[in-house]
Amino acid sequence: MTELSPTGYDLPVYDYVRPPELSGSGSGHCRVAIVGAGLAGLTMACDLASRGVAAIVLDEDDTVGVRGASSRGICYAQKSLEIFDRLGFYHRIRDKGVTWSVGKVLRGQDTLYRFDLAEGSRSAQPPFINIQQFYVEWFLVDRIRELGCTELRWKNRVTGIHQDENGAVLSVETPDGRYSLEADWVIDAAGHASLVRQSLGLPTQGELGEDRWCISDVRFTKELPVERWTWVEAPFNGNRAVWQHLMADGVWRIDYQMLPNTDPQEASRPEMAAARLRDQLGPDVEFDLVWVGAYAYRTQLMDNFRHGRVFFIGDAAHVKSPFGARGGNSGIQDAENLAWKLSLVLKGQAPETLLDSYNAERRPAAVENIAVTRRSGRFLAPRTDMERLFRTAVMDLAVDHPFARLLLNTGRMCVPHHYGPSPLTTGDTGEAMPNLVLSSRPLSDMLQGEGAHFLALWCPRDAQDRLGSSLSPLTQEGWPLHIQAVSADDRKALGMAAGEVLLIRPDLHLAARLPNADAEQLRSALRRATGRT
Amino acid sequence: MMHITPNIPDPDAFYAALLDTHRGLSATESQALNARLVLLLANQIGDQAVLMSCLQTARNTGATHRRNDP
Repeated sequence: MTELSPTGYDLPVYDYVRPPELSGSGSGHCRVAIVGAGLAGLTMACDLASRGVAAIVLDEDDTVGVRGASSRGICYAQKSLEIFDRLGFYHRIRDKGVTWSVGKVLRGQDTLYRFDLAEGSRSAQPPFINIQQFYVEWFLVDRIRELGCTELRWKNRVTGIHQDENGAVLSVETPDGRYSLEADWVIDAAGHASLVRQSLGLPTQGELGEDRWCISDVRFTKELPVERWTWVEAPFNGNRAVWQHLMADGVWRIDYQMLPNTDPQEASRPEMAAARLRDQLGPDVEFDLVWVGAYAYRTQLMDNFRHGRVFFIGDAAHVKSPFGARGGNSGIQDAENLAWKLSLVLKGQAPETLLDSYNAERRPAAVENIAVTRRSGRFLAPRTDMERLFRTAVMDLAVDHPFARLLLNTGRMCVPHHYGPSPLTTGDTGEAMPNLVLSSRPLSDMLQGEGAHFLALWCPRDAQDRLGSSLSPLTQEGWPLHIQAVSADDRKALGMAAGEVLLIRPDLHLAARLPNADAEQLRSALRRATGRT
Repeated sequence: MMHITPNIPDPDAFYAALLDTHRGLSATESQALNARLVLLLANQIGDQAVLMSCLQTARNTGATHRRNDP
């Protein structure tokens, strides 16, 4: 990978501070250690901090992003934006990033399919915002510092771990030497090549795809629509696929599918990248290459995302190809899923068994994301003449037949996983609620605050309904719960029936939908949702 | 449920029309036509279980029936 012109990106550098353990003053112990200050690790730290849970974050680098200005994920999905909203820094993403909702699938000059993700969206946040990953990490660091209870240790490289039933001990390397850090709980967010995972000898089922791609992040003056364009067959790229997408600072991400045997070094030479861009944009367009890098798809999946006192989140646990922006966004959701559970356990409001549900919920999400991205990959890189024949048939039909447009698969955009089969879910539910605005207050707002709490929304049958007061003993019993009646307007938005109670989890997923609810039903749903049964 | 009893009102006319649709096409063009036809017919059926049964039946019939399941 080559950094060609890091101009225009002025990234923060964080001070390395000699760890107290090396000055003889540190306790050498913490309740929560997070390994890796990438998207997943920082979201974890920020989410815990927003709940008043302190953690130590250990990162080998002293800045955001990977190798300085290199950009990685660019599309942040609604669910991630809702999480950023709850964490209190969504406005910075919105102001810096590019909000988009229209996508097009093209073959040559022809638009085969156009979609608008904003249709039917009911969240306070838009379907997607594009922004360079390092900005998200940067804003996370700022927010973590604002919240004040997290210790960020830069240039602290975790090289190994051992654990017993009481805790784990991390070996950490710094510019001043090595030290050991004990932690009650470890969250490994160290990416696909995690040393923690390797040090524990945990296998990861993996494969490296044959399909090769080359990214060019580029600035140019030509005006193009702020839409996601994907060519299945681009004449300017040897009839192979191309992605074209705008992110912050007027930088376009253009991703070219290469021939399977392409040499990555050769493909990412500046002259080659420039030639591709001129083929696409015309010979006279002036452009400035920000970053070029070739890559192959990688798939990895751990058998269990929990190992004793260690939890694996993000790429450390699962890796998939980038179709539909399911990588970074699922890492963010991993972090959110684990943060509220860990917070409840650390505050003594739920048993440790609740933590097992992290794997029970997030591993199926990863399995689904891998399956979905594999299908997109198969559409974009047909393996046989037959597969190409059907793809051509789909494209030929898509021009006039709407049904065939749904078979065009250039990536299915990231959506929250449905936790239907989860041990925490009561009945036939488990889906994520959109961040609805109820009586001018978004749901994400109602879920903020110290610790973690559920939200029980109840729908009065009439003005005299005593359902609310019959539920209120539950908060006195110590359940982490806020109870709120919904107005007639909100009732419609929520699709609720009179006498119904919705039990919303701290991560906005539905734990239960209880028609004709009473206190005992809600208690039972809470018992399940907090891992007690 | 996949139809196993006859369901085409005029089988001979359909079969003749199917062949006529391919008239004058090269083998490659006919293959492409068949691929489009499969997709169009699949959308007419619109029932996932029936589609799966049809795929399986097609695979397990004729010259491919002794090969392992895909």
